[in-house]
Amino acid sequence: MSSEQSFDAALDLLRRLDPNRLEEHLQNLIQLEPSLAEDLLSSVDTPLQVKKDPKSSHREYLCCDYNRDIDSHRSPWSNVYFPELSAEDLKESPFPSESLRELEVLANDSFDIYRDLYYEGGISSVYLWELDEENPQDYAGVVLFKKGDQSLSNWDSIHVVEATHSGQDVTYRLTSTIILYLDKAKQMTLSGNLTRQTEKKATIPAEGNAEHRHVAEVTNLGTLVEDVEIQMRTMLESVYFEKTRDIFHETKNSVVSVEGQNKEAHQEIIKGIQGM
Amino acid sequence: MSSAFESIISQIVSDTPSGEVKEVYQDLITIAGENSKDVIIEAIEQYNVKNTIPVDVNGKNVILSPYNKEGSKFFDPAQAIEFSVDHLNRKGLDVAPFQGSKLNETQQEYLKELNKYVEKDFTGQVSVAVYPVPQEESKTAIIIVSTKYNPGNFWNGAWKSEYVYDSHLKQLKGFIDVQVHYYEDGNVGFKSKKDVEITDSESPIKSIQQVETSFENDLDVSFTELNEKQFKQLRRRLPITRSRVNWGKAIGNYRLGRDAAQGKPPQA
Repeated sequence: MSSEQSFDAALDLLRRLDPNRLEEHLQNLIQLEPSLAEDLLSSVDTPLQVKKDPKSSHREYLCCDYNRDIDSHRSPWSNVYFPELSAEDLKESPFPSESLRELEVLANDSFDIYRDLYYEGGISSVYLWELDEENPQDYAGVVLFKKGDQSLSNWDSIHVVEATHSGQDVTYRLTSTIILYLDKAKQMTLSGNLTRQTEKKATIPAEGNAEHRHVAEVTNLGTLVEDVEIQMRTMLESVYFEKTRDIFHETKNSVVSVEGQNKEAHQEIIKGIQGM
Repeated sequence: MSSAFESIISQIVSDTPSGEVKEVYQDLITIAGENSKDVIIEAIEQYNVKNTIPVDVNGKNVILSPYNKEGSKFFDPAQAIEFSVDHLNRKGLDVAPFQGSKLNETQQEYLKELNKYVEKDFTGQVSVAVYPVPQEESKTAIIIVSTKYNPGNFWNGAWKSEYVYDSHLKQLKGFIDVQVHYYEDGNVGFKSKKDVEITDSESPIKSIQQVETSFENDLDVSFTELNEKQFKQLRRRLPITRSRVNWGKAIGNYRLGRDAAQGKPPQA
């Protein structure tokens, strides 16, 4: 079997097995076929981990594969990897360029306000990295939000973005996954993830200094993430609470059968009247 | 085959939604190779018995369970037949007459009542079983399985309830287990399980009908509550200002506004 077929089969399995045990099954599949490890770990979104930044008043930040190096994660607040890496390791560690770091700081600040307005709590983190050295304006990044207590309800948003520039025009390609977990005191659980891809074109003014361009960039990105999250929240609400309930009633429905009986009785009456 | 391998296969198979075993089988063959076929089929057999999966025996559904398993064969006391099973395709094979287990008159009555009840209250592909519990004369196993599979629209749903009724003690003990899987643009699972124990049940089918109807009604309430409470608390539909965020240089004003409202001095 080619590794591509195995990879597709592994992704298909992860789409079928209990989403609540995603990490466990991910490890199972890697044990079955170790060569899938890198591809699976970089393409399957799992609930975000939280770390504290000892260099920024222990402020919490979110961790995923995109801000990881070895077993450490870079904090968006201090730009430092924790647990701290040795000087030797740090030579190889990825950091955004100076200009991209400025954009990253502005993005973190703006999305932190957005988080406060929509989530009224929770944690946000934004990480950016260069796409290709020849086009320093282009970049990729991830915008992360987490809200919840892991035990009864939890929301993770993962927006991976690629921004490519052509003169004033910018194309944003966004892949958004929301992992939502809800548990009603062990009586029932609703859990899983939905993914959506969006592409949007926008412009960045040609004039102006770096700061102006950064503000325009974050405005474009912020508006896009906000639009997508509003749509996905509606989608989650309809899938989790309407769709799954309807499907449940496709297996058992004592109410429909009562209505069905009433309808039958009703038809009998109509027949009776027509027969008179 | 190492036992670690068998244990991984078994963990994956045992977590499969009830309508998706064939797809999971195919994926596992792709990843682990044709020579792991026997291990996977073995895991599917255990899955089918544990999850009381109905199989098609000459056009009639018969539920598999530990109560009607004898060696590698299964039997149906209602039809007085035994058969072997193609576990992957859920089909009964080599059907033969079997007199080793019969339903007594009371159990035949349960089966009639049960059929009447499920015809009225269940909307899926429904199968039922009434099996004598081997070596325990006063006990009868009662099982309901109702499924609706719609892979074309990326969803599958399954209801399963399983009880043992003790006619001496008038005790009904068992559980209800429901699962919904929705996997268009993602993977969403709904699960609910309830243990049932009724100590003074004169009529097991009537008790089952009562407990299952109230379970169903409770679930409807729980869906609404989860939406209105937990879900709403995670993320607002719109900010408290009821309008979208005003991005750009002035976004910091939100923070100034909030700090002012809380009586904090502006941050540098």
